[in-house]
This record gives sequence, C-alpha cells and structure tokens, in this order.
Amino acid sequence: MPLDSLFKKRVVLITGKGGVGRSAVTAALAHSAQRRGVRSLVCEIGDDPKDYSPLARYFGRDRLPIHCEELDTDIFGVVLLARTGQELFLRTALHSATLARAALGSDALRRLLSAGPSFREMGVFFQLLGYLRKMRSEHELEHPLILVDMPATGHTLSLTGLPDVLLRLMPRGPIATALREGQSYLNDPERAAAWVVTLPETLPVSEALELLDGLTSTAIPVGGVLVNRVPIDPFTSAERAALRPFLTEHDVLGGEGFRRPELASREIARLRAGTRYAVFSLPELPHDGLIMALSEEIERARRVRPSMRP
Amino acid sequence: MSKSTAPKSRRDVTRVGDLLRQKRIIVCCGAGGVGKTTTAAALSLAAARAGRRVLVLTIDPSKRLAETLGVSRNPPEPVAVPKERQALAGISAPATLDAWMLDHKLVADSAVRRLVKSPEEAERVLGNRLYQQISSMVAGMHEYTAMEALHRLVIAGHYDLVVLDTPPSRHALDFLEAPRRLSRLIDTRAISAFMPRSDSLVARAASKVIERVLGAVFGDEFASEFVAFVAMFAGIFQALSVDVNTMRAFLSGPDVAFLLVSSPAPTTLAEAHFFQDKTRELGLPFRGFVLNRSRALNVQKPLPDLSMVDGSAGATVALRRGMEKLQAMAKLELEWADRDLALLRDLETRAGENATAIALPELAQGADDMGTLLTVANVLAAS
Repeated sequence: MPLDSLFKKRVVLITGKGGVGRSAVTAALAHSAQRRGVRSLVCEIGDDPKDYSPLARYFGRDRLPIHCEELDTDIFGVVLLARTGQELFLRTALHSATLARAALGSDALRRLLSAGPSFREMGVFFQLLGYLRKMRSEHELEHPLILVDMPATGHTLSLTGLPDVLLRLMPRGPIATALREGQSYLNDPERAAAWVVTLPETLPVSEALELLDGLTSTAIPVGGVLVNRVPIDPFTSAERAALRPFLTEHDVLGGEGFRRPELASREIARLRAGTRYAVFSLPELPHDGLIMALSEEIERARRVRPSMRP
Repeated sequence: MSKSTAPKSRRDVTRVGDLLRQKRIIVCCGAGGVGKTTTAAALSLAAARAGRRVLVLTIDPSKRLAETLGVSRNPPEPVAVPKERQALAGISAPATLDAWMLDHKLVADSAVRRLVKSPEEAERVLGNRLYQQISSMVAGMHEYTAMEALHRLVIAGHYDLVVLDTPPSRHALDFLEAPRRLSRLIDTRAISAFMPRSDSLVARAASKVIERVLGAVFGDEFASEFVAFVAMFAGIFQALSVDVNTMRAFLSGPDVAFLLVSSPAPTTLAEAHFFQDKTRELGLPFRGFVLNRSRALNVQKPLPDLSMVDGSAGATVALRRGMEKLQAMAKLELEWADRDLALLRDLETRAGENATAIALPELAQGADDMGTLLTVANVLAAS
C-alpha cells in the first residue's frame, strides 16, 4: 500500500513502542496533510488533562486542548480523555444532560467508570466517534483526516479489539449501537488504517513484528510500517573496508556511527522479510526543524511505491 | 539470609551496587520502551553473581529475554535459570537465579485461586464469562497482580532478593497509581451500591437507581449480568481491598528500593521530578535513577586519528577520506556524550542524599543476549 493512501483515510492510528518518534511522525503527517489542503485533527489519548504531551510540544504547546482547537492552519488538535467521552456518552444514552450529570455525580458510578472493565477505553472510543461524525456543513466533514497518536502497544490492541470484546458482552443497547458505528469506521480498509512506527534496531524491529501480528488478529486494517531515524551512511564501501580493521582494534568515538548504518540495513531487511506490509524509511534528522523536514521526507516517500516482498 | 535482615547501619545506601547486594526488593519503574526489563534482568544477574538467591519477576517480557535466560514464559511458578547458563553467567551455589515471566491473565487467575476459599468456588469465578473477558482489562489489575505476586514470593522467604519489573505503561507512575484506582473501585461502599440485595432501604433505593442507569447505558442484559458478577466478586474484592493497603505498607519498608528507569529523552527530567515527588508522597523508598541508552560514558573514549593506524604513512586514499568522515562523526558523538553527561549530572543533583543516578551504555545490538546482559550487570555491580 503506497504511503499516499494514508491521506485518503478518515482515521489513522499511529502506533509503536515508546521512544520511536511516534509523536514526531504524527505531527509531520499532519503537516503533510496541510500541504495537500487536507484538514486534519491530531489526537492523543490522555489519562489526565495535566499530563505533559510530546505531541503538543511540536505545535508549541504544553498540552493538547480538551476541546478541539486549531493548532496551525488546517491542523486541529485535541486530547481524548476517558472522562470527557463517558460524559458525552451518558448524555446521549440517557437522552438527558441532567440525568447524565446526576449519574456522574454518583460516587459509585464514577468509581466504576474510572476503574471498571475497559470503560476508560470506551470513553476514548466514544469521543473519537464524535469527531468522526462531526460535519462542518451538510456536505463537508469537519475533520476529513483524524490522526491518533496511540500511547502504547497495549492500548492500541485494547482500543481496536474493544468493539469485538464488548459486543460479545453487550449485544444490545446504546453502547452496542455506538460500538457498531465505530466498527464501521475502524474495520473498513477504505476509511481506517493503523501504521506502525519503529526504529531500525533489533528490539524495536522485533516489537514491530509482534505488534503487526497483534494488529492482524484485530479487525483494524494495517497500512504499513514507517521506519524512523534511519541513519544516513556517509562512507563509501572502499572507505568502510579501509576503516574496519582500525575500528576492530580501537574503541574510539565515531565507531558507533560507523556501525549503525550496517545494523540499520540488516534490521530493515529483517523487517521486510518478516511482514507482508509496506515498509517505508524516514531518515535520521537533526532536532531543530525536525517536523518540517520529516514532513518533506514523507512527501518524498509518498510518491514512491514501496518495495514489496516478492 | 540476606545481609539486610541484620541491619548494622541505618545509613541509607545510595549506590546501585550496594542496593543489589543488600535490599530484599528492588522495583524497577519506568515508561514503556526504556529498557526496563533489560535493566531488571541485568540487576538480578548482578545480584546472583554477588552470591545472592535472586528472583526476577517480569510481566509481558520479550520472547528473546526468556530465550536468553533459558526459561519458558508463563510457567505456574518461578523457574530456575538452567544450571549451565548460571555457570556461564558466573553464578555459583549457594547463589541462584530464578525467573518468572508472566502475562497478566495468568497472574490474575492465580490471585483468584488463592483468594477464593474453595477450589470449586475458584473454578466458578474463573469460568465466569465476564471474568474471562475483562480480568485483564480492569484498570489497575496488572499492577495489582504484579504486587500481589511480589508480596507472596517475598513472604515465602526463598529469595534474598526479588527484582520486580513493573508492567509496561505510558507513565512510570502508573504502577504506583493503578492499585489505588483499583482499591477505590473495590471499596466496599462503592461495591455495595451495585449489590442486588442490601440491608438498608436507602442503599436498596440507590442500587435500584444505579441499576436503571446501567440498564439504560449498557442494555438490561449486560447490566443484570454485571450486577451478578459484582455480587460474586464482592468477597474477592474485599480481600483485595485489604491487600492493597498491606502491600503499600510492605513496599515502604527499609528493605525495599524503587528505581526509575528512563532514557535520555527531552522529557526525562520532568518525569524524574514527578516520580520522585510521587514516591515521597506515597512514602515509598525512592533510591535512584537508571539512565539507559546513555552516551555519557562515551566521553572517556578517544577521538580517532590517522596516527593511531599502524603504518599510517602509507595510508590509502580510502582510509584518509574515511578517517576524515569518522572524525566528523566522532565530534558529533562527543556532543551527544556531553549532553547526556549533563543530564546525568542533573539527575545526580536531583537524586539527593538517599538516592543515586547512574548511566548505562547504549546497546546498539539490542540488549537481550547473555553477553550484553553481563556487560550491563557488571556496570551495575560496580556503580
């Protein structure tokens, strides 16, 4: 699947382990959408509105707003909070704001919603659904592209697997209706995709392969893999050959940088061999101006067809 | 027996090398993806090499780590690392290294088995449809079950040291907060509101209202099933509720050390600050920062130079050009090393008297082979 397809979805889940640059990739994707005139909403899943947010940092803020705001031209942002979604849901399900407030005022119910089985994920799910439905006018979507920076591997699987599990538990009722509607987005390859971000290193690649396996077992369509921070190799093969004996003998500064490109290509090859999904590489870039540079790289990558496993 | 059971000095230890020789419990906290599991494995390896009987308890570990240690995942009880691997790692009797690598579903099941009075009752709970679907989805359950397993294994006294690798989460603090969230839910007052029959008239009326709300929200079918589920679990929840407090007290003892594992990300300092405050607030013994993937140690390495090459006078063009590029790369690596060293110094200052901050080298190979684990173990033991 070419990278370009990502920008034609309604909702894209950006997943991957901590420290792989998921938030930077999400921010860069939003800027790429902006270049194409696609209005996007970037979201992350928060536990607490006071949490620091690496994603918000890329838009010059400490945290994303609780209610959707424009962060940059045609880039909107919001933090998805379980609590906000639960309130929204209770209001819809009970057909009454007063009753919803009263219900949330119940100590027991509040405790249940904060710790109960998957209720937090459900709140997030419902809030996401609200943004998917939102129209700007009768014929125009408010957010044609929603990019979700998923917090951790486990969360991705529990959010995407959530509708199936819950529908088995509660086949009828307002939640079931909402879940089915959510599924109609998340399980539709035309409208949704999960993209895995990883690094060209041993553990991240192994974890990306495990995550791809996990995603395949949920109903969410997988778009592909973005390998972030691929080191650029400055050495020619003759220079490599000439330096190798010296570096075997001496543990010097620069030795790590010498070995990294070799390791990276080995790991990317292993990733390609281990998955049937498209794999794209994004180069390692300096921290200053990272997002715009990364977005340019995404522009470059989206025009090429990925090399697929024969 | 562990040396720490006969305390000779009240002075708090502030070196990781001492912690792993003296403490009975080391809890490794940290956000996902910072090499927490690797650190926990290396800590336990170092402690066993120092002559102690050690268990490393980890939830959701990587396949490779299990393979490196030569243990299966999800055994019913802790298993010993095979003798030949222990010998290879320099562990000799009476020291031992056991590992228990679990997924949380299994820990939850074993907790139910122990908390429920009869085996029949346990089977009934484990067979409950709701339990099967949601036991691993209840917020705080993973963290609770990890603490529960830790408590039991330490009390049993087979080990001088148990190293706990906390479950993966976004924030280092989740492990500290989640059990409280769970205990709030299972607080008997909250639970009784969902109970089908209650003694007082008010409680009965309240439970009727809640049932109606649940019915409207979840559908009547699920609501009644849920109420039945809660009734069945009420006893277990009450037992858990006691334990959360017991364990909090248990983890604040002098034999315990909490370590925050992190990586040199921009957010590390902020996270470190929060973690330290939180452990203080909860009365838990914070003992140090482990900065993984740090390049701080690289400042000791020399810069490459053509003069270091034998017969450099007759160097080829490729070698000369390559060396120039290598030197440019080395300069960059020196900058990174300086930056990471500054971060380490900041953490050291922040750690104060009763805690420490150490850096572990960046392990480009992926850190789960025995050779790498031993390298890390040696750094830990010497620090």
